[in-house]
Amino acid sequence: MQTKNSNLSIKTYLDFSQLLELYRGDHEQNRSFALKREKLLQNPLKLLLDWSNLNQFRLTEELNSKSYLSYLSRLSSIFGLLFFIIGFFVGLGLLSYSGEAPVNIIYYLLIVMVVPLLSMTLSLLSMLTHGGVADFFNHLFPLHWIEKLFSTLPFAKRVDSLDSPLSAELSKWIFIERIQLLSLLFSFGLLISLLLMVVVKDIAFGWSTTLQLSPEVFQSILASIGILWEGVLPSAIPSLELVEISQHFRLGRRVDPQMIQNADKLGAWWKFLAMTTIVYAICFRFILWLISKYGVKRQLERDFLALEGVQGILREFNTSFISTKAPKQEIHLEIVEDSIEQVSDNMYKSYNTIFGWNFLKDEIVLANDAKEIRGLAIFAVGGSSSFSEDESKAENAKESVLLFVKSWEPPTMDFIDFLEILIENREVHEVQLYPLGTVGRYYDSDAKDIAIWRRKIQGLKSKKVWVIDDAE
Amino acid sequence: MMQSSSYPKFAVVGHPNKGKSSIVSSMAYDDSIQIGDTPGTTQVNRGFPLKVDGEIIYELFDTPGFQRARRILSWLKEQEPVSADKRGDLVKKFIVENREHPKFKDEIELLEPIVNGAGIIYVVDASKPYGVEYETEMEILRWTGQPSMAILNLIGDEDYRDQWKRALGHYFRLVRTFNPIEATFRDHMELLESMAQLKEEWTKPIQKAIGILETLHQQKIEHSVDTIVSSMQKSLSYIYVAKIKGDSATKLEEKTAKLEYQKQIVKYEREHKQEIEKIWNHRSIDKAEDALLLDDIGLFSKESASIFGLSQKELIITGASAGALGGLGIDLAFGGGTLFLASLIGGAVGGVGAMVGFDNIYDVKVLGQSFGKRELTVGPMKNLNFPYILLGRALYHASVMAKRSHAQRDFVNLGDENSYTGQVIDSDMRKKLERVHVKLRARNVPKDESIKEYRDTVLKGLLGLLG
Repeated sequence: MQTKNSNLSIKTYLDFSQLLELYRGDHEQNRSFALKREKLLQNPLKLLLDWSNLNQFRLTEELNSKSYLSYLSRLSSIFGLLFFIIGFFVGLGLLSYSGEAPVNIIYYLLIVMVVPLLSMTLSLLSMLTHGGVADFFNHLFPLHWIEKLFSTLPFAKRVDSLDSPLSAELSKWIFIERIQLLSLLFSFGLLISLLLMVVVKDIAFGWSTTLQLSPEVFQSILASIGILWEGVLPSAIPSLELVEISQHFRLGRRVDPQMIQNADKLGAWWKFLAMTTIVYAICFRFILWLISKYGVKRQLERDFLALEGVQGILREFNTSFISTKAPKQEIHLEIVEDSIEQVSDNMYKSYNTIFGWNFLKDEIVLANDAKEIRGLAIFAVGGSSSFSEDESKAENAKESVLLFVKSWEPPTMDFIDFLEILIENREVHEVQLYPLGTVGRYYDSDAKDIAIWRRKIQGLKSKKVWVIDDAE
Repeated sequence: MMQSSSYPKFAVVGHPNKGKSSIVSSMAYDDSIQIGDTPGTTQVNRGFPLKVDGEIIYELFDTPGFQRARRILSWLKEQEPVSADKRGDLVKKFIVENREHPKFKDEIELLEPIVNGAGIIYVVDASKPYGVEYETEMEILRWTGQPSMAILNLIGDEDYRDQWKRALGHYFRLVRTFNPIEATFRDHMELLESMAQLKEEWTKPIQKAIGILETLHQQKIEHSVDTIVSSMQKSLSYIYVAKIKGDSATKLEEKTAKLEYQKQIVKYEREHKQEIEKIWNHRSIDKAEDALLLDDIGLFSKESASIFGLSQKELIITGASAGALGGLGIDLAFGGGTLFLASLIGGAVGGVGAMVGFDNIYDVKVLGQSFGKRELTVGPMKNLNFPYILLGRALYHASVMAKRSHAQRDFVNLGDENSYTGQVIDSDMRKKLERVHVKLRARNVPKDESIKEYRDTVLKGLLGLLG
């Protein structure tokens, strides 16, 4: 699985994060999106970026990235300019030569080599550690405190109030990257001031230390420093003779006569100082800047995939969308409640005709016996009889009619057709519909079954038909 | 309309009110289908295709019940007699000639998928006695010539299956019992396997569908576990921060902050439960459950803790085990040179911590911020029982949703304490869970492997509840 992508930036990350707050799609949409880009399924980062681009139009409010990046670029521009100027003036200060005492190159080396190396070591330690430890190293940089002060400014406050999704680790990397960039600008300022001073002034460089350092030892130290460019530019490594004639002692009011005699040679130090600045303060820093940029990018990739909701979208990209939904809308049954209830418990002892809907004749006789009722004519209707047979039986019925039905079987339209013939039969005065339960339950019916029959008969709006309700 | 497709189709047919829609609802994992005790609830046929990335694997049709079966059979018998292989054409002819006939609307909706090639799944209520009136319906279905099976649905308490089997055996190759309300996932798969036997050409697609549905089921379980773990992480590490004006928080500020904190925790739980219901496709569920009470006498009382959380004794053991495990790490780092004192101390500290922490709720702190501003923070939850109560509720809810048939329309009572089996989280699982709980309480980010172990433990718990 590839997780690298060159298009990933803080802007895309912030926009994506803002989009996720608003919209995550659904499984069907996300899977369909992924299937159209099947080749990218192995590169989730690229797939997510494409998805983000496709859905950018949904972000109608002001983008958080706009505020944040504008703040970041303003911060970087102001500090960048400031660091460059400071570097330039520090260079001027270090190289200021009054003519009374030479410029001590050790000071200069401290600023262009030792301090950057220390700062780079701190940066490396911060890069290699996490959480509180990395935080501790970052706190050692003055920039950290300067930025903290800066964050109290009104425009910075607004950015601070944004619910930034930048993780602590990503913020650390962004800070480290900024440190490298600003340090680089500082070193450029220093180098320019060196080149400018060399051009416009004749600077007498010297070296002076309280340590009992012989010129031979000092030269070997300088040669070690210059080992990186020895092969390319040997003239930029001070010779032993130059080191010897450049040694300066502060005792005495005047410059050593030997130095004055060799004044034209003392200027040769500039090449060494320039190369030290270029290599240690600029090239090394540049490499570290590239590493920190890579660190930001790698962290961005990690955080991008760790954003809330991303794993869900990726799962939807990768898992088949399974649907069991009906494309056709359901037509809901409208139940019309009628006000007149055709319910009775007034059963007769005898009926002119007794019908048993879907009963066998023997079963009707058994039910009559159980309910102690009699019928002049008894007919089995429904079931295996044909509709025309039932039709003629219904047409011949007279006066009071009892109609047994199975309470658990809901009324079908076939039954309603039969009942309507009875209703239309003028000879029939009353139809009592008796829903019976199963024999196993001694014909007792469930109230919910009876309710179905009651509702159905109610819907017919006939005053001739009554439901006998003896439910439990 | 009368063209046939290559994938298997099944029409669920039968007498009105015999549970056809319940069966389709359960098989299609769709709780939005209207199911009612009023006959005629289903008025048109509706196809429920099982689609995988747009490709239909099989389709299930919900149909209205037979209303005028005798008249159709009469119509068919009135036609010029044809050989058995041509009877299907007569059924088609009936549909074509009576499409506009208002009296045969239901029958046409019912028979249409069948004449278009669907297999027949005839549903009867075997809790009620067999009746001769069913023979007309079965005879019409036999005329269609389509492969068929019967399902015995036990809606009521009585059991007339033997009677039904004897009658149905004359008309159907297969007769199976299936209760859509109580059917488990395994029951669904077994029914599908039976459906696969209806026609040789359908065996492979249905086997494929079984594989897909099993994968989907597993994915839903995994997705549920991920949702629970993510919600647990958010809830346990949540801190509410409020800016305050004075040097210390007023009573009102503290009360408001606590309330906001509680609201957020309840919101996290509600959101994750909604997500779980969405995963299991229970969108129309009507449920009641005890609210997650985050006050001193609700969630954190020793009485309520016994329902979903752990007893104080269990907590002390858990705390001691977690402490001892931490100490063991130190001992091992020193190659046992510490005479395992660190484990001993860790265990004691963990145990005492649990004993004291049982009644603790959450820290309310006033923190100094740079440049003189002050913040009042509430959380993370310090109560040691809180994670177990939250997890217990989450697992119970997820298991109910996973097991609930989509044919069920009754009210779900998630507050039923007796339904929860606390035993699914044993002492070994508790130790693993506690490692992450400790980290989250301390606002530390647990390592990936700890989260994985936590997830596996939650998965084990959920599978335990699912049985």
